[in-house]
Amino acid sequence: MFIINYPQAAYLHIPFCRRRCYYCDFAISVVGDNATGETSQSIARYVDAICQEIQQGVKFDAPLQTVFFGGGTPSLLSVGQLERILAVLDACLGIAPQAEISMEVDPGTFTLPQIQGYTQAGVNRFSLGVQSFDDEILQACGRSHRRKDIFQAVDLLRQVGVQNFSLDLISGLPHQTLTQWQNTLQEAIAIAPRHISSYDLVLEPVTAFGKQYQPGEKPLPNDEDTAEMYRLAQQELTRAGFEHYEISNYAQPGFQCRHNRVYWRNEPYYGLGMGAASYFNGQRFGRSRTRREYYDWIEKGCPIISPVSDDTEILLETLMLGLRLATGINLDRMAANFGENTVTQIKSILKSERDRGLVHWDRHSLRLSDPEGFLWSNTILAKLFDQLTST
Amino acid sequence: MTDVSVSRIRNFSIIAHIDHGKSTLADRLLQVTGTVAQRKMKEQFLDSMDLERERGITIKLQAARMDYTAKNGEKYVLNLIDTPGHVDFSYEVSRSLAACEGALLVVDASQGVEAQTLANVYLALENDLEIIPVLNKIDLPGADPDRVIEEIEEVIGLDCTDAIRASAKQGIGVDEILEAIVKEVPPPQDTVEEPLRALIFDSYYDPYRGVIVYFRVMDGCVKQGDRVRLMASKKEYAIDELGILSPGQIPIDTLHAGEVGYFSAAIKAVEDARVGDTITLATEPAETALPGYTEAKPMVFCGLFPTDSEQYEDLRDALEKLKLNDAALSYEPETSTAMGFGFRCGFLGLLHMEIVQERLEREYNLDLITTAPSVIYRVTTTSGETFEFDNPSQLPPPGNREIIEEPYVRIEMITPEEYVGTLMELCQARRGEFKDMKYLTPTRTTLVYELPLAEVVTDFFNQLKSRSRGYASMEYQILGYRENDLVRLDVMVNGDPVDSLATIVHRDKAYPVGRSLTEKLKELIPRHQFKIPLQASIGSRIIASEHIPALRKDVLAKCYGGDISRKKKLLQKQAKGKKRMKSIGTVDVPQEAFMAVLRLES
Repeated sequence: MFIINYPQAAYLHIPFCRRRCYYCDFAISVVGDNATGETSQSIARYVDAICQEIQQGVKFDAPLQTVFFGGGTPSLLSVGQLERILAVLDACLGIAPQAEISMEVDPGTFTLPQIQGYTQAGVNRFSLGVQSFDDEILQACGRSHRRKDIFQAVDLLRQVGVQNFSLDLISGLPHQTLTQWQNTLQEAIAIAPRHISSYDLVLEPVTAFGKQYQPGEKPLPNDEDTAEMYRLAQQELTRAGFEHYEISNYAQPGFQCRHNRVYWRNEPYYGLGMGAASYFNGQRFGRSRTRREYYDWIEKGCPIISPVSDDTEILLETLMLGLRLATGINLDRMAANFGENTVTQIKSILKSERDRGLVHWDRHSLRLSDPEGFLWSNTILAKLFDQLTST
Repeated sequence: MTDVSVSRIRNFSIIAHIDHGKSTLADRLLQVTGTVAQRKMKEQFLDSMDLERERGITIKLQAARMDYTAKNGEKYVLNLIDTPGHVDFSYEVSRSLAACEGALLVVDASQGVEAQTLANVYLALENDLEIIPVLNKIDLPGADPDRVIEEIEEVIGLDCTDAIRASAKQGIGVDEILEAIVKEVPPPQDTVEEPLRALIFDSYYDPYRGVIVYFRVMDGCVKQGDRVRLMASKKEYAIDELGILSPGQIPIDTLHAGEVGYFSAAIKAVEDARVGDTITLATEPAETALPGYTEAKPMVFCGLFPTDSEQYEDLRDALEKLKLNDAALSYEPETSTAMGFGFRCGFLGLLHMEIVQERLEREYNLDLITTAPSVIYRVTTTSGETFEFDNPSQLPPPGNREIIEEPYVRIEMITPEEYVGTLMELCQARRGEFKDMKYLTPTRTTLVYELPLAEVVTDFFNQLKSRSRGYASMEYQILGYRENDLVRLDVMVNGDPVDSLATIVHRDKAYPVGRSLTEKLKELIPRHQFKIPLQASIGSRIIASEHIPALRKDVLAKCYGGDISRKKKLLQKQAKGKKRMKSIGTVDVPQEAFMAVLRLES
């Protein structure tokens, strides 16, 4: 059996945003509506820091197959800043010739020359934070862009010849109805992106929404409706030719996000920047979520202080992540890593779920059904966690 | 140890409300008399259980012998006999007081007299003790000794002309206290020549030596090696070791009337040497036992079930061990359809119950589910037969019962007057009958009610505290049984009756209780993949119903590299929550739900 035990994927966190959206609890720093990579001192300082982290951090002797700039709003980086980070990455860790280099960009935050520059620097996949096509909903979410900015952003990408881009959508937003969601899906399909991420709103306690709203209560749609929105997305997007390859992700054949698949296969990765988590040498390590502490940590030489995951933890993580994928868990690999008994035990725990059509398995793989098994994935995982740790 | 004449012995205890400084004062006395060297001094020496020290209260009493040279140059032996400070243990308090000739009444100079203090002072007066009032914490800014003196004189009728103003913490007034003990507390009667009678005021189980009995010799002498008889348990033992408490155990050959000490004699459980029992010599026994002995009678009951059914045997062992040391604890196996195998346990009161539960969880590492506390009801059937029961499931069907009776208590509350209204509301809501109200001072009031004990055990104390912002205190005593129109309220979850949720309530309260109980359960039971009806019924008649809507999805939308640890924790929490739940049919019910009846608004 082949286990990749050195990271070949790197996530870089660019924590700057013009505003904080009302549903967002990420580690970000708000820099205001007019900030750009050229004008913002904070961004410049941060770019220095992340480059320093790459230079003095842990290195393995394998080139990166995937790079992902996430945020925050990475499109607040100037072309020069992005070029510099990629150059340092290439010099220190190496970037493979066919590597997937993704970047999250927000409508209204970039220009044509910027996209040209990013592409020339090597970015070959963009993820556009659309969330909704409805101006009222966008405003109610605290987004800085509007509907027209979305179409403009898509035009800019296409003008540069970028076809490999993804749209991010959110269902279950305040005041959203099933009909509106259906329209959102249709508009997204009409744009014909290569990839769509469709997230059911998560009400995080520390966010504006979390403080204001109760899950399933007005103005949020009830969970009967949000479950229906999930099913609708599955139905409409697969009908339009997208593969539903992960709980919240859809792709045209050949356009799954290679970087994100690394997480779901529980493979190692670098995580760089404030708030980012890395996973290698069996250690998961989350960097501090404030810039000050992150900078202090770099000053100390980027020590990775974290316990090494034990077998049970790795097993639970493998299940939790692998069952997000439509392809599910590879049972041959699971038997090789955790023993044939574990596989037998998992199957016996999930027998009633299989009878109810939520879980399927054959000789080589075990997966949740789409959409019903996915909709109950936490319940199923909690049951596995409970029973696999009780003996 | 030299022999000491009876006239030079002073036996006393300290009466105080929680936090009024009893333990600090005891520590100070031990220190000043040189009984415990400075360096050995742990804070609150007398409270040896961790739990006691944490809660700042004394559960099990102990004793200490101090040598003191008074200002008149004479040497005295002072025996401090500590008393537990809670109503649940009033029998134990009364026996400790019976072993003394005097008591220090310690009152916080800013707080004043509390209900508990009052109850214990009355016990002391019943036992004919000389009472020395001490105003403690006079160093604190809020201290108002004159007001508190007035209050003591008014409420207890005690002359406070010579009340001692002290601060145990600062060491102020400690010498005066020691002098007052010598001067005011009468020496024991010299009955050395009479047949041995010694009063047991405490006992505890030591795994190596068996039960250690703490006693006060009332008459006669006892020697190392004597064969003694316990007059209530009728058991006889040869004394292995006799000694005094200083406060550590120091062996000694003989103890005579007036002295306080301990013995061990390979006694297997404290039940065999209970507090209040009389020790006499097997060879020349006394004619009568000392007065005041009573059997322990549990008043409050609850079911204790292990969360994990594999811990049943461990729970049995733990209860057995606790019982060795706690004669008042009772338990018997109980089976519940919802909870599986466990024990129905009886306690002296609520604090006793809490202490036992905590010790089981803490010292024996058990994970327990507790059912709502209940009391002993008495039912007379149509065939004229009368029996007692504490488990609602034992109540015979309506057609077979003639009369149901429940225990009542007289409850005395002391409260700042602004809370009188809200406390009266509380008592009315708890089916209380108003008895009396008196002003202690222009701003403090005592309020007396008679209430069903069942209404007191269900969260009454917490309600009293929260309604009075912690200022009110209470004390209760059992009155006896009264007939009432009581019914059993059954609860069904998803159509299945849940025996552990059944309660006995007054018919007039059945509707509101049923309604709030189903509402509370709706809050506490998580949503499932199906709709769950919740119903409360009397017999076959449904009086309240609710339903928990079905959950439609349970999925984490996002899980990327940065989320993994956190999402795993969430799932682990969900899994753990599931573990701590009991399955009723296909419904997972969390533990809190079994205590839901306690948390209803009243």
